[in-house]
Amino acid sequence: MAETTVTSNNIVQRRGGPVRWFLTNAKWHGAEWWIMLLGGALLVAIILMTLFANQIAPYDPIKFVGAPFTRPGAEQSVIVLEVTSSVQGLSDLAGRAVGVITGSQGARELDARGLSYERYSSPRRAVEALYKGEIAALVADADDPKLKQQARQQGVEVKTVGEPFGATFRLGTDNYGRDVFSRIVHGARIVLGIAILAALLSAAVGVPLGLLSGFFGGFLDKALSLVMDSLYSFPGLILAIAMAALLGPGMLNVTVAIAVIYIPVYFRLVRSKVLSVKEELYVEAARSLGAKAFTTLWLYVFPNVIPSIVVIFSVNVADSILTEAGLSFLGLGMPPPTPDWGFDLSAGKRFVPSGYWWLITYPGAMIALLTLGFSMLGEGLNEILNPRLTEG
Amino acid sequence: MDGMMAQETQRQEPQEQDVLLRIRDLQVQYQVRAGTTRGVDHVDLDVYKGETLGLVGESACGKSTMGRAILRLVSEPGKIVGGQMWFNGVDLLAKSDVEMARIRGKEISMIFQDPMTSLNPLQRIDQHYIETLLTHERGLSKAQALRLAKGMFDNLGIQPERLSDYPHQLSGGMRQRVMIGLALVLNSQLVIADEPTTSLDVIVEAQILDLLKELKQQYGMTMVLISHNLGIVAELADRVAVMYAGKLVEVAPSLALFDQPLHPYTQGLLASLPNIRVEDEELHVMFGAPPDLIHPPTGCRFHPRCPRALPRCAQEEPPYRQVEGGRWTACWLYP
Repeated sequence: MAETTVTSNNIVQRRGGPVRWFLTNAKWHGAEWWIMLLGGALLVAIILMTLFANQIAPYDPIKFVGAPFTRPGAEQSVIVLEVTSSVQGLSDLAGRAVGVITGSQGARELDARGLSYERYSSPRRAVEALYKGEIAALVADADDPKLKQQARQQGVEVKTVGEPFGATFRLGTDNYGRDVFSRIVHGARIVLGIAILAALLSAAVGVPLGLLSGFFGGFLDKALSLVMDSLYSFPGLILAIAMAALLGPGMLNVTVAIAVIYIPVYFRLVRSKVLSVKEELYVEAARSLGAKAFTTLWLYVFPNVIPSIVVIFSVNVADSILTEAGLSFLGLGMPPPTPDWGFDLSAGKRFVPSGYWWLITYPGAMIALLTLGFSMLGEGLNEILNPRLTEG
Repeated sequence: MDGMMAQETQRQEPQEQDVLLRIRDLQVQYQVRAGTTRGVDHVDLDVYKGETLGLVGESACGKSTMGRAILRLVSEPGKIVGGQMWFNGVDLLAKSDVEMARIRGKEISMIFQDPMTSLNPLQRIDQHYIETLLTHERGLSKAQALRLAKGMFDNLGIQPERLSDYPHQLSGGMRQRVMIGLALVLNSQLVIADEPTTSLDVIVEAQILDLLKELKQQYGMTMVLISHNLGIVAELADRVAVMYAGKLVEVAPSLALFDQPLHPYTQGLLASLPNIRVEDEELHVMFGAPPDLIHPPTGCRFHPRCPRALPRCAQEEPPYRQVEGGRWTACWLYP
């Protein structure tokens, strides 16, 4: 960049730059503009979600925090039961012998509060223990019908003390009792990271190769084009599967596996663009003024290729999200406890016939939304930055 | 080769040291699927120091190819396949690509036909100048380069503030001025102007031609003016070279050529210009179309269209030789 020079007799003022051009010449109205805005808003929301994942997610995404298959929005509360009036609420449980029924929410609530307890395998045993005074109180699910039945059968008058307390799962829990909402929030981080990193990586490889290939031509061009075209002719997901299987699991490996399949996209785009730009008169004029090959490539060809890279990048991220989801759906993505939309989708699909729709609906919707966001942004940008449309 | 050289030298009227660019037997061919196109075929031409040489001919006759060949910028699939070019006694064809890049813009530069596309749309004008200057003059600072560019803008008649504009903010005439300035900013000895005013309107064309005349005097440069517009050539050129189908058919001092053309092609070319002084004169038409350069006619390439063709013209190629002082032509009418 040349510096603005101020001399005593004349002042060279900077009038207009790329930003100014964009602000004045780009289309700021019409459907494309709204599409881009909507896509951008969607992305900003999701990106904010990933940035504040720890604050937003109510639970640890990999811990079993609730009963399996809790419905979305259902409150899973527990109550304290006792017979002797020695316990008046949750605050009195510390230091007392407390019982819970195996598999109930009570154990998790007590764990979360750091209280010790004893497990009973069935409501009958638990009520017996309560009656015999082995435990001072029993912490049980508020809506456990078996418990009330047992109490009635054994002739024990069970009192409920204190308010019901417990957890709400906005989007329900999965088959292990993990909070679906927390997994989605944390999963966004993984999927966005991998998709953007993969798109960057393939751009970082594909763009320079395309520039060199298109600009210098010859044997290099022939060889590179052959390799890239053969890569391109593979179905993307199949190639990604092969790469992922070869590299093994892990964030970086998945990223590389996805990046490899998109290198030809950048290569082909950049190469074809370079082929047309290098025939432009200003490139020839630069050469006629003695510009070296590298200067011509860097200052005259590359800047004129950038706009198309920006557009394809956005669309490419959308594509990599789908591929990442596809890979983890097939079990080739991140290793299991990691929250990952594609993996949750594949793990949850078994339970859909049983009516547990929320296991796959929410991760699936998020994949669709994120992809849509990037696609809309890319398409909108494409329309807005397209000089044919702005000059008219 | 040396013998031929000596012979050629003898035929030249001006002295050896006056020759800035000497082209001998230059051949440029385009390898296309249909065959080999001889864009420039065995051309001999001298450009003298300080002169303006007009290179005229119809479209696709090889005049632009010749201009580019001088800079060794013939675009693919074209190739210089034979001949010699000496610039100030330096063999241009023996230079490496890197050495040639050093000559371009500094010793020989070029002005292109279409100023609308000959500037990088994403670079400011000052960056064009700075980059060109810094490429050739190591040790020059950006501030110095900018000062030189400003000085050039004074000569071009553009306000120096426009240096920080982008090309799209300038008019066509201004852009062509900018290009001319770029070609001259390093004091190139030889400027090849490839139809510099073709895409401009008449008013701007006149301004640019005036500017070229002015700058030529100021910088003492030599210019090869490629054009199909005989009016421009008549106005600017000291000597005129006429090309037809990849060959030179006639070279003569400007006045002599327009006054009394020798080659029938030149005669036809001049006769096809309308004359505003004569009323109701029917325009002379040259029949036929330019020949296919992959399969050119035998003998003289112009003979199928020539009104004065001799039987010999179809068989033997006429030699390119001096007819009278400073007048050269390739035609059997002047044996």
